[in-house]
Amino acid sequence: MGEVELSCLAYVKMYLHGCLFPRCSVNGLLLSSSPAGGAVCVTDCVPLLHSHLPLAPITQLGLTQVDVWCAQTQQRIVGYYQANACVSDNSPTPCALKIADKIAEQCNNAVLLMIDGGKMSPDYRVPPIVMYERKDTRWTLKDKHTIMLRQWEETREIANQLLDSGDHSLLVDFDSHLDDITRDWTNQKLNAKIAELASPANVCTWMSRVEK
Amino acid sequence: MASVSEMYDVTWEEMRDKLRKWREDNHRNSEQIVDVGEELINEHASKLGDDIWIIYEQVMIAALDCSRDDLAWTCLQELKRQFPGSQRVKRLAGMRLEALEKYEDASKQYDSILQDDPTNTAARKRKISILKAQGKSAEAIRELNEYLEQFVGDQEAWHELSELYINEHDCLGDLGVREAAVFHGGVCVCVCKQHTGSVVTLAGGQCLQECLARYGKAAFCLEELMMTNPHNHLYCEQYAEVKYTQGGLENLELSRKYFAQALKLNNRNMRALFGLYMSASHIAASPKVNATVKKANVKYATWATNQINRAYQLAGRGTKENKCSVKAVEEMLESITMS
Repeated sequence: MGEVELSCLAYVKMYLHGCLFPRCSVNGLLLSSSPAGGAVCVTDCVPLLHSHLPLAPITQLGLTQVDVWCAQTQQRIVGYYQANACVSDNSPTPCALKIADKIAEQCNNAVLLMIDGGKMSPDYRVPPIVMYERKDTRWTLKDKHTIMLRQWEETREIANQLLDSGDHSLLVDFDSHLDDITRDWTNQKLNAKIAELASPANVCTWMSRVEK
Repeated sequence: MASVSEMYDVTWEEMRDKLRKWREDNHRNSEQIVDVGEELINEHASKLGDDIWIIYEQVMIAALDCSRDDLAWTCLQELKRQFPGSQRVKRLAGMRLEALEKYEDASKQYDSILQDDPTNTAARKRKISILKAQGKSAEAIRELNEYLEQFVGDQEAWHELSELYINEHDCLGDLGVREAAVFHGGVCVCVCKQHTGSVVTLAGGQCLQECLARYGKAAFCLEELMMTNPHNHLYCEQYAEVKYTQGGLENLELSRKYFAQALKLNNRNMRALFGLYMSASHIAASPKVNATVKKANVKYATWATNQINRAYQLAGRGTKENKCSVKAVEEMLESITMS
């Protein structure tokens, strides 16, 4: 099927979500600010839950609120990600399939992304993700060559830097927002930090450090 | 690298007291415990007196949680030296083996504890944790049920069992299935691991029954917890979430009642507030209820809406940060009209 591009911002937040709750299964929604049609560009993500993923009320609430926010900000929900607590098992759970199905109702080339916990390490050469697309009524593995992550090494460095500096604790998921509603699940603060780190000047500094 | 005491300007006594507080509250803030505990052990061991042993235990467990086997090993050696032959230290050695994923060896360690002392609950629970870590949740459920027959008052175990049931066959319950049924023209598509992709009619949905039964069992565990902890708003709210997930009018009404109960116990529980709003709205919108019930539920939902709006207005004051979430909630509540 079609090509999928994963932005630095979406990848870093997803990855940090998994790192922030290493003992829990986590999930979230993948968003796009590009118009429908052609390749799917995942430009952002919203981390949702780190507890009771299979229970309906908070999932429904999260989906509805993100939907409304997307309408307000000209974005669309184009996919779903999940990282399982059990690191050796990265297959989509029934609730992951269910939510992905719901998303696919509104978006034909929706993607389901599983984070492979076993491969999350600071110097892994390829992104620790497995992507599925919907063919007929089943979710099947996507051909790796149709998945693009521009500037993977820089993206990986940004994620590592945020982990080292402890800034990953800035990430707010929907669950944390419900614990304290003054916290912002759209993560504007963290987005700004990531954008700053992704600026060309910063990238040059690390690449030279990495090469040494 | 600055020390904890330098960075936070704290004395060793304050560090020791903090560790005690975390111990008493059973906090799992392992990175912090390792930072504070390691410094305390390295720099101030002589001043700690007999407290040092319990600190070694606390730091060791936290170190395992952070993959700091070096630190865990040091703590374990000190404890072994001081308490040779202790069951408690044996259990810690077992936990270290678990952290290294040497599950067979860990299991043997726990078995040897149980041979000497068959009532050792800690060792039994560790064995169940091994099953969970290996992904053998059906076995873990079976063992935990057996354990609870003997140790009926173990709150932690009841809660763990409820979590295992919830995560075991997670189909997002009946509500999800009904929606799928509409999508596929009235035929239920079951997405359980056994039937992925196949089409199963609602009437003959045997697998659906199994899934919903798991939620019923999770609910039973939470009922046990609510009975022994009637003032705990979290158990009420979790119970309500399970009922909501099971779906059907009766369960929705129960879920609304328990969301309301959770709110009575803690009026700042946002999940309970949203849950009350959602369950009341769904009941009011159902074609099966009479006008009186509908009217009552509209009233509950409207009350919840006002409380939610008020909470978000209060939260929004002074912070630019959550303007987006405030707007999203307002629109969501407006868009669901009550007729």
